[in-house]
Amino acid sequence: MTPRWIATGLSQDLPKAVVMAGHWQGHDLAVWRSATGRLQAWNDRCPHRGMRLSHGFVRGETLACIYHGWVYGADGGCKHIPAHPALTPPATITVASFACVEQDGVIWVAPADMAGAPPVLSDLQPLRSISLTCDVAAVLAAEPALQGQDILRATVQIGEQGQQVCLVAQEGPAGLTLHALCGVGADKVAVSRWVEDLRRRAEMKVAA
Amino acid sequence: MIAQQVLNEWYPVAMAAQIRAGQRRVTQLLGQPITVDLQKGAIVVTGQGGALHVTEAFGHVWACPGTPAHDLFPIPEALEPGRRLVDVGVVRVKCSPLRAVENFLDIAHFPFVHTDVLGAEPHTEVNRYEVQIREDSDEVWATKVTFYQPQAAKSAEGGIVTQYMYRVPAPTAAVLYKTCPNRTDAWDVIGIFVQPLTEELCDVWPWMALYDDVTPQAELIAFQQMIFLQDRSILENQIPRLLPLDPGMEIPTQADLTSIAYRRWLKKRGLTYGAQMVAA
Amino acid sequence: MIKLYDYVLSASCYKIRLMAALLGVKMDHEAVDFHPGRAHKSVAFAQLNPAGTLPVMVDGAMILTESTAMLVYLAKLAGPDWLGPVDAKAAAQVQHWLAFSGRLAASLGMARLHDMLLYQGDIVVWREQGHAALRELEAALTERRFAGGEWLVGDTPSIADIACFPNVALSQDGGVSLDAYPSVRLWTRRIRALDRFIEMPGIHRLHELSPAPKVA
Repeated sequence: MTPRWIATGLSQDLPKAVVMAGHWQGHDLAVWRSATGRLQAWNDRCPHRGMRLSHGFVRGETLACIYHGWVYGADGGCKHIPAHPALTPPATITVASFACVEQDGVIWVAPADMAGAPPVLSDLQPLRSISLTCDVAAVLAAEPALQGQDILRATVQIGEQGQQVCLVAQEGPAGLTLHALCGVGADKVAVSRWVEDLRRRAEMKVAA
Repeated sequence: MIAQQVLNEWYPVAMAAQIRAGQRRVTQLLGQPITVDLQKGAIVVTGQGGALHVTEAFGHVWACPGTPAHDLFPIPEALEPGRRLVDVGVVRVKCSPLRAVENFLDIAHFPFVHTDVLGAEPHTEVNRYEVQIREDSDEVWATKVTFYQPQAAKSAEGGIVTQYMYRVPAPTAAVLYKTCPNRTDAWDVIGIFVQPLTEELCDVWPWMALYDDVTPQAELIAFQQMIFLQDRSILENQIPRLLPLDPGMEIPTQADLTSIAYRRWLKKRGLTYGAQMVAA
Repeated sequence: MIKLYDYVLSASCYKIRLMAALLGVKMDHEAVDFHPGRAHKSVAFAQLNPAGTLPVMVDGAMILTESTAMLVYLAKLAGPDWLGPVDAKAAAQVQHWLAFSGRLAASLGMARLHDMLLYQGDIVVWREQGHAALRELEAALTERRFAGGEWLVGDTPSIADIACFPNVALSQDGGVSLDAYPSVRLWTRRIRALDRFIEMPGIHRLHELSPAPKVA
């Protein structure tokens, strides 16, 4: 599979000093933001006993595993092992990093050596991430106005007005997630309800 | 194909009191359907191929799907007068039965998973302890284990440095001996008996033999259930779900000596049901 | 003193323990052997609560067996702000979420009892209903965020939040992940970060709220 940028969440859903689960094409990731705001995506597995780091906790510029509190610094290297407070952990204990950038309010991940930047989504504002039990084809079938494959765009009639809607698709282990953006100044509640309605129509098509 | 040495071991399959009360337990052992029930006053475990070898000990029914390689291990303390024997009840966990045992042998996680009960920062250091595989009994033992605990037992008040011994007498069972808050001359005994439903799913039966005449039964059970259920979300989120026996897959430290010995012991004896031999 | 008949693994009992802790109310606790003893279904327990459910709250001659009623009682006694705003719409919304918490217990709560304590029933349906409820909660909390709101009703946490929190925070115990519900996740974090918050098994300490200990 050609490496590419995948949207794994919205910036607004990952405040400072928080870690969340993310995905890149079958790889589970721990995506986290440090106390000063630095964003990172790592392999979601502590090398010690295999615990998911997305269940861990952020202190300052480090992410720690919830199981034994092993502390990992910005470079993915283990900085501290609480069971052995005086020990300097060997440099070989590291967590693999992925490339992770945020742009236009969307968090994008890719393999560490990924060249180039994620797609630009200008003149839009992040709305919300929404999960679906159907695939992208069902979404496209439910709303013929939508154009695109990974980034679906349309101008749709919501209430009295035409609204720009942009849905960035992400396939994860639990199904499809759409990271929704809308035009700057749009009525967020109205667009959010339209996206939910789209979900109902798309999932109903599959059920039928 | 399940290795013969795995089939020849004893596994817990039910709480004896529940079967004696007339409950029938339809469950699984090593991926095969079994039924545990009372027939003419005797507890019987039936699989697809007929009756399994059965024994009853420490409040639980144990079954061997093959030909028993040995008797079920003893816990001599269970017979001591004055001890309260407490069946804690079943808890199902989506993990390898071996991961459930290994977690029980681990102390370094106490401050982070059993916060303010079995451990608390900054008291995170694990002092050196001794581990051996005892040739006579063919068991893994860890001795001289010490750890600072804010509330070591239901009957404990305030923090103490608790002493522990750990013992693995069967592939899916572990017993710990820990400082008894009420007596200086005896250990509290806590076991976990793990029923391997499949390689990635288990029913865990904690059990206790304590010197404690005061605490109501429901509180003793609640305390132990609290501890074990704090571990459950860890066990269900370890990757891979199987216990890796390939030394390159995970990175142990000196604090993990018991786990290292347990993994070696499993590997040497070919007790690899629930284990991952080669990194995926 | 108020007495609570309690079980450590019960999400509904935790609801009351949590509310009391947040309010600083001390209660007597009597542990009931719910599992494996099923003492809540015993003849003796039926005298207290014929429905055989937990928790049960006793204060003098009053016996309460519905956890949402207990939340109202504790808040009225010790922290009326937790009842939510008094205007008609807000009051109705609080009632909505108290009732909604029953749907969470009947879906996510049952999935948890199934996966953890081997309760019999249709796990597929319980999980589907759990996801359906989480979608509603996510939609509501997302719309609150659009308006700058952090809680289900009003500008401060209320009994509505506490009623819904336990079964949501424990949903993973029943095989239902919160990964797909970002607004719900952030809301559970806010509750877990409240002053005087207490945990239960399945909801671990937010260690990030305490500073890293000094390394020698």
